[in-house]
Amino acid sequence: MDKRELITCLEGIVGPANVLVSDMDLELYSYDASLDRARPDVVVLPDSTEEVSKLLALAYRENIPVIGRGSGTNLTGGTIPVNGGIILHFSRMNRILDVDIANRTAIVEPGVITLDLQTMVSQYGLMYAPDPASQKVSTLGGNFGENSGGPHCLKYGLTSNHILGAQIVLNDGTVIQTGGKSVDNPGYDLIGLMVGSEGTLGLATKLILKLIREPEAVKTMLAVFDTIEDGANAVSETIAEGIIPATLEMMDQLVIEAVLKTINAGFPLDAACVLIIELDGMRDGLERKTQKIMDICRRNHVREFKTARNEAERTLLWAGRKGAFGAVGRIRPSYMCCDGTVPRNRLPEALRRVAKAGKKYALPIGNVFHAGDGNLHPLILFDDRDSDELDRVRRLATEILKICTDLGGTISGEHGVGLEKLKETHFIFCNSDLEFERRLKKAFDPTDILNPGKMIPPAACEPS
Amino acid sequence: MDFHRVMKDLACVVGETAIMIDPDTLAGHGVDGVRPGAVVFPTDIREISEIVKYANEHGLALVPRGSGTKMAMGNPPKRLDLVVSTCRLNRMKDVDTANLTLTVEAGVIFRDVQARLATEEGRCYLPVTDPDTPENAPFCSDREHKGSFLPIDAPFAEQATIGGIIATNSSGPRRLLYTNPRDIILGVRFVSPTGDIVGMGGKTVKNVSGYDVSKLMVGSMGTLGILCDVTLRLLPLPERMETLLVGFSSFEDAAPFADRLLETRLLPAAVEVMTHSTMDHILPKDAPALDSGRYFVALAFEAFDEAVDRMNREAAEAAAANHAAGTATLEKELHGGFWLKFGNLGIATAEKFPGFFMLHLNYPVSIWKEIFRFAEKMLRVEGIDHTVSAHAGIGICKITLSIDGLDPDAVDRVVRVVERLQTLCRGAGGNCAVHNAPAEIKARLKVWGEEGPDLLLMRRIKEKLDPLAVMSPGRFVGGL
Repeated sequence: MDKRELITCLEGIVGPANVLVSDMDLELYSYDASLDRARPDVVVLPDSTEEVSKLLALAYRENIPVIGRGSGTNLTGGTIPVNGGIILHFSRMNRILDVDIANRTAIVEPGVITLDLQTMVSQYGLMYAPDPASQKVSTLGGNFGENSGGPHCLKYGLTSNHILGAQIVLNDGTVIQTGGKSVDNPGYDLIGLMVGSEGTLGLATKLILKLIREPEAVKTMLAVFDTIEDGANAVSETIAEGIIPATLEMMDQLVIEAVLKTINAGFPLDAACVLIIELDGMRDGLERKTQKIMDICRRNHVREFKTARNEAERTLLWAGRKGAFGAVGRIRPSYMCCDGTVPRNRLPEALRRVAKAGKKYALPIGNVFHAGDGNLHPLILFDDRDSDELDRVRRLATEILKICTDLGGTISGEHGVGLEKLKETHFIFCNSDLEFERRLKKAFDPTDILNPGKMIPPAACEPS
Repeated sequence: MDFHRVMKDLACVVGETAIMIDPDTLAGHGVDGVRPGAVVFPTDIREISEIVKYANEHGLALVPRGSGTKMAMGNPPKRLDLVVSTCRLNRMKDVDTANLTLTVEAGVIFRDVQARLATEEGRCYLPVTDPDTPENAPFCSDREHKGSFLPIDAPFAEQATIGGIIATNSSGPRRLLYTNPRDIILGVRFVSPTGDIVGMGGKTVKNVSGYDVSKLMVGSMGTLGILCDVTLRLLPLPERMETLLVGFSSFEDAAPFADRLLETRLLPAAVEVMTHSTMDHILPKDAPALDSGRYFVALAFEAFDEAVDRMNREAAEAAAANHAAGTATLEKELHGGFWLKFGNLGIATAEKFPGFFMLHLNYPVSIWKEIFRFAEKMLRVEGIDHTVSAHAGIGICKITLSIDGLDPDAVDRVVRVVERLQTLCRGAGGNCAVHNAPAEIKARLKVWGEEGPDLLLMRRIKEKLDPLAVMSPGRFVGGL
């Protein structure tokens, strides 16, 4: 089938207005929040499961790659069409279909913006727990594809722990339903496998989300430290003390400086690092837990410790944290966000080694991350117009991931493998592990049209 | 199949003493009355890998087995040549309480894990009287930690292996607070159905590097591989743990009481609504006496002191408002002992009755009362001895049925009951599975309930990973 025939077929499925082929459109969809780029052949915007099914059936017949896309905020190249193909853009499928208060579930289309859903259910005293920093922009379908995390996953788990079921369109257009409003339907955990599969096993067209009761009380604290070591030790000790806060985030000086240029979030300018700690749950015992955390911080030479007195102060603290990635744009135009994760008691060691590596490659690194679960986000800051810098950045990123895996950690805590970390998969996987992944992929997509080139390195690339 | 030949071949892998073909062992390791040709006892993942490769080469069918507490789940195997026992994979490889993670081999007993995580002073999640664990290190000796536990409310806690718990995604009433194994697993090492050694995940609490194979293995019932190492999250031991039992003379008082508690912001670990017949099997003899109720709500509180106090207070108020017949509090070991006995419900009844059935119903949580009422009424009308217990806040109900013998009339009644429950649950978007039934009756039942539209995808996975149908053929959903 030639290009013109393809366009005609696509227009027949979604309507001409929803097929984008202009040069500008293709350019706009050639990038996401990662550092990679590649142009698709066409972008389509379906409006229903039926349309998605027809699109995939067509792609399967004609052997054309299909890449699902929400808001394109993923950081690892998951939405980059490396082999060209069709971008299946879910922005029109953005309806919240059902909010079932009695069963504490919501059914949504994949294009719904995460924060919109959270705002909507909040009026019923319910919450959808996963809160990736991108939640204002990212879609639930994208969260599904990447198994997104966020600060609250320390206590509440990742996206995968909050999806009860889905309607999935398979490689050849077959539509299946798996899971539902009820837990424990027997069979393999297809949801568990598909969440975080980065669009390589199928595309979700409806999601059944788990909602939980909003906690009765929340306490948000800010702890300021004069050394990163002290902050990191406070994190380890909190977990060892037996307290699982709802969140435990760290930001270092470089990031603090950047943030304060944009927002007066209440952090002191000269702190080596700050911790944002949030406790939630029943109000009873919350004071005592707060006191314990304060004691831990004091034992680790905390300079200042304060608690948000009201919702406004709390929001400001969080605005500082959630706006951090954007804020560093004031220092350098680009950043590479590494996503290595270490067991949390190796955190101080990890940060030391990462800082040393940064100096070795002469690149500034800002740290803003989920300290409580050991998920680092060293932001390597650079100017992507300087190709020498870009090269150093990639090498530093690889070295950082090696540091993490050497400490018993892994290469990705929440952003996925995508394109970005294909070359580092062998830090954690051996031949037979990757072969197993390839077999699973073959079970779902033997002709490799679903987001090809992602997650699993091709067999030929492996070190012998 | 010449099992003397098999024995000789596998003896080269595991040693002569680790493979048995004597009648007693074979009888003891049967699956739904189907006897294997041999039982093998490997000591590590490499031996298991060799065994599975051998099975693929010689067309043998195998079934993994831990302690056998849940071997009655599923269909009888289509074929069975080898039972692979994990009992010698019993090492605790990494107990990292500071990181709140644990890696153990699949044959480690659940009870031993909890004992290992207890504090020096003897605070333990399970009521452990004899503290010794296989490594002979009584309680956890590193004093950095305040005590932790593995947050799985596993039935048969004193016998079940971690491997078996994971393979069946086993959970209990306290899943209300702690979720289930699927949500706390961090990593696995296993032998695939074609004999490869595969490791995915690790000890970080967040990990999206690659497909979430750990989750795929949870609940896969020995059909996608043999688990060897499992890494799981731990939680700090709750400061205080106790149970409040509330008795009611009518379900119409018990149910709103449970609902009311579930609507508050309180965080009980369990809200379990059960019939008198259920409580009869569990109630400790030396517990404070409850005025006779016909329905009981058992509330588990596992939290900070202040929170437990408040939950007790509010539950007592709600109990009075709903005409409770009586209440009793179980503290410390009595609390642990109660839930341990609850988890053993299957064993307690099975030992008394040859015709023993255990059903696992799931449905949207909002209809839990209708399901409970329907089930109970039907069982009374059909005149079948039963226990009914619902995890009120989750949408799961466990029912045991006992008939004296396997006379056709009694069996017919049971089959009728199961079918009607399956229709009811399925219609509501749930299911009713038979987790235990006499082998000879299984043919008349759909033990996994109705198949769903996603079976075709499950079949694709199974056929790709196990092309020769070596692992537990036929036992799972849809005959996978």
